[in-house]
Amino acid sequence: MKPKVAFFDFASCEGCQLAVLNCEDAFLDILNLVDIVEFREAMSETAPRFDVAFIEGSIHREIDVQRLQGIRARSSVLVAMGACACIGNVQARSNFIAPAENFKRVYGEADRNLVQSDPEFWPLWAHTRVRAVKEIVSVDYELRGCPIVPEEFVHLVKALVVGSIPSFPANAVCVECKMAENECVFDQGETCMGQVTYGGCKAICVTHGYRCDGCRGFLPQANRVAHQAVLREKGLSDAQIEHRYRLFCSAQFVGRENRR
Amino acid sequence: MRPFLLRRDELPNWIKHLARESQVYFPQRAGRSGFRFKQVREGSLIQLEHYRPTIVPPGKKLFPAEEILFRYQTMGDEIPVVTPVLDASKQILAGVRPCDLKGIDLMDRVHGEGVPNPHYLSRRTHTTIIACDCLYPCDDACFCDAVGSLGWRKNADVFLTALDDEILVESFSERGRTLVQRTALPVCDAVDSFKERVDVRRSKPFGRQFSVPLSQIGPIIAGQWSSPVWENHVQRCFSCGSCNLVCPTCYCFNVRDDFELSDGSSGGRTATWDGCMLPTFSIVAGGHDFRPLALARQRHRVKRKFQYLTQRFEEGAFCVGCGRCGRQCTANIDIFDIVNDLIQKVEG
Amino acid sequence: MNAIACHDGPFLPQMARILEVTAMTAREKFFRVALPAPLGHRPGQFVMLSLLGIGEAPISISCGPRDDNILEMVIRNAGSLTQVLHRLQPGQFVGVRGPFGSGFHLADFYGKDVVFIVGGLGLVPLRSLIQPILAQPDLFGHVTIISGCRTPAEELYREELQSWSRMGGERRPVTVIRLVDDTAHLPWDGRIGLVTAPIADLAMDPDRTLVALCGPPVMYKFAIMELTGRGIAHSHIFVDLERRMKCGIGQCGHCQINHLTCCQDGPVFRLDRIVDLQEALQ
Repeated sequence: MKPKVAFFDFASCEGCQLAVLNCEDAFLDILNLVDIVEFREAMSETAPRFDVAFIEGSIHREIDVQRLQGIRARSSVLVAMGACACIGNVQARSNFIAPAENFKRVYGEADRNLVQSDPEFWPLWAHTRVRAVKEIVSVDYELRGCPIVPEEFVHLVKALVVGSIPSFPANAVCVECKMAENECVFDQGETCMGQVTYGGCKAICVTHGYRCDGCRGFLPQANRVAHQAVLREKGLSDAQIEHRYRLFCSAQFVGRENRR
Repeated sequence: MRPFLLRRDELPNWIKHLARESQVYFPQRAGRSGFRFKQVREGSLIQLEHYRPTIVPPGKKLFPAEEILFRYQTMGDEIPVVTPVLDASKQILAGVRPCDLKGIDLMDRVHGEGVPNPHYLSRRTHTTIIACDCLYPCDDACFCDAVGSLGWRKNADVFLTALDDEILVESFSERGRTLVQRTALPVCDAVDSFKERVDVRRSKPFGRQFSVPLSQIGPIIAGQWSSPVWENHVQRCFSCGSCNLVCPTCYCFNVRDDFELSDGSSGGRTATWDGCMLPTFSIVAGGHDFRPLALARQRHRVKRKFQYLTQRFEEGAFCVGCGRCGRQCTANIDIFDIVNDLIQKVEG
Repeated sequence: MNAIACHDGPFLPQMARILEVTAMTAREKFFRVALPAPLGHRPGQFVMLSLLGIGEAPISISCGPRDDNILEMVIRNAGSLTQVLHRLQPGQFVGVRGPFGSGFHLADFYGKDVVFIVGGLGLVPLRSLIQPILAQPDLFGHVTIISGCRTPAEELYREELQSWSRMGGERRPVTVIRLVDDTAHLPWDGRIGLVTAPIADLAMDPDRTLVALCGPPVMYKFAIMELTGRGIAHSHIFVDLERRMKCGIGQCGHCQINHLTCCQDGPVFRLDRIVDLQEALQ
């Protein structure tokens, strides 16, 4: 029997599911190997159990926590798919701003006060902190990036199909920059998050003339003290450095110390 | 065969002439200050002088970042068929500096001695090298003279020495002679005086120098295992592996398999660059890590260049002094500084 | 790219058909495969074993030298490749490159008393030396095998260890000492303790005793300390080391130990030749 695969989305742009659909040829081959039983971008159906559940999006509300726990209980393998699910992504920046302040910014002060006083809107207030999937349930594999890298998705599916262990080496983006023979972003007078960020993206942003902003998250061995020192030497202020660090990774190190 | 003379302003034409018949790579601008060995086209800007060492060395054209070792096909109960893939396309690497030339020679030894690597050797056999002399250091990071690379000529097919408006064209191999003879160039009648003028013009001292002769560096480094120097130079290390991947004498590779999703019965095995600074480099199945600390990896890298491989291959240094690792390290960790500090520890 | 095919090369595996797969413990399986031609290996050598499309890993040869085309291995489920290997059935194919490495030279052991000290998986490669030594009683002296593992459930080759202990005679005694760290409430007929513990009480003549060691990295230091204390010279001790390996031909760089490569110069080293190399036993 073909493995049952499901895709679930939480707080996200669903761009990673689109990236999956964009695997095109490989996606058609995958359809021959697995049964996709839930996929909002492509179909709607529900199943009681899943062999593999792909989770897209960060977790915000209590209701999302319960839904996620339910999916985990029904899934043999759970994959966090994309930067939102793995490290919170840009929306986790709101973790550093009081919810009342956020509502004011988005809806204006008057509507914020209305929202605050009307019980109908109270579930919104349950949103207190943006969390990555692994903060709530155990995650078997992570497909990093904003959006995910189609080749990594295909690699993961292949491994799951043959029963091997997919390999996502914890190497810096620099490795792939050198393989692509990119001129280092620092030599272009810019600054970069590449040295402390998970590679696997083929250094796509640098290869196309931009810098790495760290969407794949900090490496376990990330020497963040040294990295901040390098950025400071290149003229970045502490506030600018904090901005860079919080852009994608606000939810990555909640409650954890800066480690080497 | 006597050397020829080429007018400096004729060099682009000569290189492009070669490029019409073969695949020619020459250092060309890549980005703001970088250079890359790029294939020469009609519109390419060909300049011999003033180029900083390329981002990765020309030797990587013999050892690409990803290389298919073989493809396979399984057929039910039959014995699977495995077919090797060897690249035998001809190429000319032109504008290779002496440091990179020596790097290629060292890689010829690594891949050619013991059990030869047919993939490297196939490319190498089909590669012609046009190297060029350096009259002054390319920048502050250079220390080729200190490790004995500056005068390296051995494995050049053609060797160019540019002085003022002229380029002396020497050929050191049959392949080089054939290449040069294809163009009608005037013979140089005064080779000795040309070379004398070159030596007068050459910067002295040439680039950074160690305070002890090269022959003493190996023993000095061999004697230092727990020196505080190692710790001093690893504080800022990102373990990003850039120093490995841009090194002309780094050759470590990983191997991975892949299969086609469409049929599940075919696929291949690929070798990809690896580096001893990367945290996963020494981990065995089961999880034991033989070099878990960046310090141990850094020490291993330096000792490979100045102790381990020099001992194994009986060479003066396995570092060619191109300066790439230090130049491209965003934390400014420079192998010259590490070695220099180790020397100072001993010499005071 | 102008691709040409060649019919031989160090990266090309031979295809071997699986004859037998037997579970030995919860984590280890015994594999017997048939190669197209005899492997012609020495004890202590290894092969690069692969599954096309999945990967390749260094695997110790577990059988002594033999004339037929059979190869025996024990594979622990410890990674991506071995996890898939564990599900293979007889009749399926695996890729084999090798044999690689220096291995043991049987002639070094002629006329000597031989002590084997093995921890965990260490018995697997040393069985390739134990087999030929036990098979030729006239050529070797007293054989002692000290085999340790964590719990009785993890013991490998139990029947063979028991049968080896019965192969001794008056002229050529064989002693087998089996140990576990912990019985884990399982029945156990051997000793309890570390594999290095029995060394102190062995009857050994340092002049005519050779020792072969193989086990987890932590074992070497203590075993060597004990042996040195008993007067065994470093030149009489052979260690079988493990390193990450991706090629087997000294080129991928992973197994570098100072100026040596474990895959070509080792994995079996005479201790006096590596004891001063900092990267060897660290």
